[in-house]
Amino acid sequence: MKQNGRFMVGLVGVAAVVTYLVWTGVSDTMVYYLTPSELIAKIDEDPTFREVGVKVSGRLVVDSHEQTPGSLEHHFVVHDLEDESVTFPVVYRRPLPDTFTDSPEMVVDVVLEGRFNDAGVFEAQTVLTKCGSRYEATPEELRT
Amino acid sequence: MALLGALLLVAAVVLFILLPVARGQHASLTREDDEMTEAEARRRVTLLALRDVEYDYHTGKLDEADYMALRKELSAEALAALRAFEGEEGATDVDIEAEIAAVKAGLAAGTTCGACGHRNPDGSRFCAACGQALAAREATPSS
Amino acid sequence: MNVLGELALWIALPVSLWGMVLGFAGGRKQRGDLTLSAERSVYAVFFLTIIASLGVVDAFLNDRFEYWYVANYSSRNLATYFKVSGLWAGQRGSLLFWLLLLSLFATIAVWSNRRKNREFMPYVAGTLLTITSFFLVVLLFADVNPFETLGFTPADGAGLNPQLQNYWMTIHPPTLYLGFTAFTIPFAFAVAALLNGRLDSRWIVLTRKWTLLSWFFLANGIIFGMRWAYEELGWGGYWFWDPVENASLLPWLTATAFLHSIQIQENRGMLKVWNMGLVILTFLLTIFATFLTRSGLIESVHTFAQELKIAFIFLGFMASILMAGLVLVLYRLPKLKSENQIESFVSREAAFVFNNLILLGATFAVMWGTLLPLISEGFTGQEITVGPPFFNRVNLPIGLALLALMGIGPVIAWRRASKKNLKKNFLWPLVVGVVTAAGLWAAGARHGMALLTFGISAFVMAIIVVEFWKGTRARARIEGEGVVKAFYHLVARNRRRWGGYIVHVGVVFVFTAFAAAPWYGEFLQTLEPGETMTAESPLGHTYEMTYEGISTNIRDPDKNLQWQATALVSVRRDGEPLGTFTTEKRRYIRPEAQIVTEVGIKSFPMEDLYIILADADLDRILQGDAGGQAVTFNVLVKPLIAWIWAGGLIITLGSLISMWPSAGAVRAPTAARGRGTTGAEPLPAGD
Repeated sequence: MKQNGRFMVGLVGVAAVVTYLVWTGVSDTMVYYLTPSELIAKIDEDPTFREVGVKVSGRLVVDSHEQTPGSLEHHFVVHDLEDESVTFPVVYRRPLPDTFTDSPEMVVDVVLEGRFNDAGVFEAQTVLTKCGSRYEATPEELRT
Repeated sequence: MALLGALLLVAAVVLFILLPVARGQHASLTREDDEMTEAEARRRVTLLALRDVEYDYHTGKLDEADYMALRKELSAEALAALRAFEGEEGATDVDIEAEIAAVKAGLAAGTTCGACGHRNPDGSRFCAACGQALAAREATPSS
Repeated sequence: MNVLGELALWIALPVSLWGMVLGFAGGRKQRGDLTLSAERSVYAVFFLTIIASLGVVDAFLNDRFEYWYVANYSSRNLATYFKVSGLWAGQRGSLLFWLLLLSLFATIAVWSNRRKNREFMPYVAGTLLTITSFFLVVLLFADVNPFETLGFTPADGAGLNPQLQNYWMTIHPPTLYLGFTAFTIPFAFAVAALLNGRLDSRWIVLTRKWTLLSWFFLANGIIFGMRWAYEELGWGGYWFWDPVENASLLPWLTATAFLHSIQIQENRGMLKVWNMGLVILTFLLTIFATFLTRSGLIESVHTFAQELKIAFIFLGFMASILMAGLVLVLYRLPKLKSENQIESFVSREAAFVFNNLILLGATFAVMWGTLLPLISEGFTGQEITVGPPFFNRVNLPIGLALLALMGIGPVIAWRRASKKNLKKNFLWPLVVGVVTAAGLWAAGARHGMALLTFGISAFVMAIIVVEFWKGTRARARIEGEGVVKAFYHLVARNRRRWGGYIVHVGVVFVFTAFAAAPWYGEFLQTLEPGETMTAESPLGHTYEMTYEGISTNIRDPDKNLQWQATALVSVRRDGEPLGTFTTEKRRYIRPEAQIVTEVGIKSFPMEDLYIILADADLDRILQGDAGGQAVTFNVLVKPLIAWIWAGGLIITLGSLISMWPSAGAVRAPTAARGRGTTGAEPLPAGD
């Protein structure tokens, strides 16, 4: 019985350590995943939210992408998936993924991680495009 | 043509799966004679456990007192299972037979010192208690 | 052929349902004829699924673009090799492919038990056919029928996603699927054992090899996936903690736990409920992984579909399996009582119990992180995500604990290990570990967690080497054999134990490679032709990359290329020329949407050089504008990458040794036994 008692202590110990790791891990590394509308609403409500790192999904505004010549500084504008009038500017200082193409025929959905700077521009740390491996066309597209 | 092929396919499949029921075909749903019996399973488990105990002792993971106790316990079980199993005919299993032979030899062989009666571990050439040379034991052929 | 393929699916569903009902009925009423019919249904479903799969492959090979699936995943100019792999390129095909592999394994399991273990077979057939029925229902009724037609025939298909046109990508999904589906067999035997009440150690013997096989495929599938990500995704990473990657890791973690805890049940008759739970959990996780891979529940770069219908069908199925499993285990609880108690805290059993807890802890952590967006959205309406920082942070200590247990476990005996000898057995390996860490610190490695990992890795390696040496010596002494012969016999006689230790060596390699991550170096620079950039490696090598220029290949329909821009880079390592490397951007004719980057990789035993064409003014380059040839390179120097692949090979070797049928399994067909090779199960290879 003494062994069993010690065992229970061990088991509870392992469970407690894992729970602690997960709990602190989540609270220290979690990121809000928002739409542009939600993000802007949150900032209106609480201006300090501007400082919080977030993940935002949005859609590239066609023809908004510009690259500063001779550098890797990319500027583009993202709008909300549902409400095209909600937009914000983004700056990204690394090579963009290949799937990021600014052309009128393409819809590019992006997931950005980063925060707003003082100038009100979203400083993206990572840019992911969402079309990724999805290549399922509608019948209409296949007609061409 | 395609329709004919399809019909043939359906017919073949239906016939294939219905035939046993239609004919009331017999098929055993019980353990067959040549399958591992509980005695055999027990024999196997105890032999393997015994082998592990030997191994653990020889590589210094078990204390001598624990080793002796476990070995005695498992040896008794293994011998009982062996006897029960030998009653059942026809074990032709090469690998396990060699293991059985090895274990049996180890149990029977004179690892017990002739001079002082101390039980020495397998493979000992001299008694750990009194230093007497032990009876030369043939290495058990293992294959 | 295509029409026949679809028809085969429609026939397979009633056959599968029929067999399912008859299997359970045959077991309940103990009727051999019903059972035979159920078993034949398994074969029939396999046969029909082959026809359906051939139908899909045939449609791909003959460019039958009137099919939605073919039109979306193929094009006329796609290489034949990739057309065949179209079967598992997208959701629809891969569900059929899953069914094909499942029914293949089901057929093997039923066929190999046609004359033995009969009391299990009605339920085994019934369970297997329940699962095939489920997948058939999904295929036929959840808008994912691969034979769905468009109603017109496009001139050409959309083409296969260029990132999927890679060798590793053609073998990674099938390998993973083999692992997922193979685990259905242990699950079926577990359900059968619960139903017929024969819960002695036999069902474990029956399922162990299948579990190992499944584990083997899962491990390889995961490593192939890492290889694909590393070579093809073009950012130099091999693991992203992407939901789909996590989903494939989860059943592997629980299967690993099961492979260890099952030994406690075999040796000591303990943990029976726990093991049952692990089988059911692992099976559920394989279904969950398939579901996550092929539905859009959680956003992921790998996830293909967005259909909600399929999500509900899958969730319903998983919930039913879980409920059925719980009910069965509760029902059989009296028969699942432990025969023994753990005698000592310092025993192999105890080490395995901790190994299990830690593995389940890792499973829980990974699952929580993966599902957090859903959970948080469901409970608070606010979507919260965690990324690689969370997973790395949580899994690092868990991984280290597991690594340490890999060293501690082998030295501890079953039941009650010698406490007196513990110090002696651990002393030298510990010294090796500490000296390794101290040596690396002295050499300038200043990263605490990484040093800890290297130290523990060295400790584990020392333990395993000593273990092999001691075993060989003990055997040589007992049997009077030479060292080589003794070593061979040692491993051959107890394949499970020694094969397992070899797997551990592979895992140590992989963990060591992960711990090198703090030293990954990145060098980003824009070069004009003729200019040179340098990269310093943490191991003291200097790489000089000279941009020789960029060549273009425009409109090459034979290669499906719209255009291709290849940058030539000549590399010197410490002044020695290494040759010329290429990294390129290309755009396919079909699918035309996307630009792809191909990277240049040079692999050394201790580090990889990874050259990415990160940015280029493609418009000017493709016009041949001599003034616009400046490009940006991203050069990565990554130590110990090759150790991951080496570790993977060692894991493969170890698991093959563990799985290898023992000589005793092949029985001489003696007249006395009458039945020849249909006799007893293979002998266990070990402890």
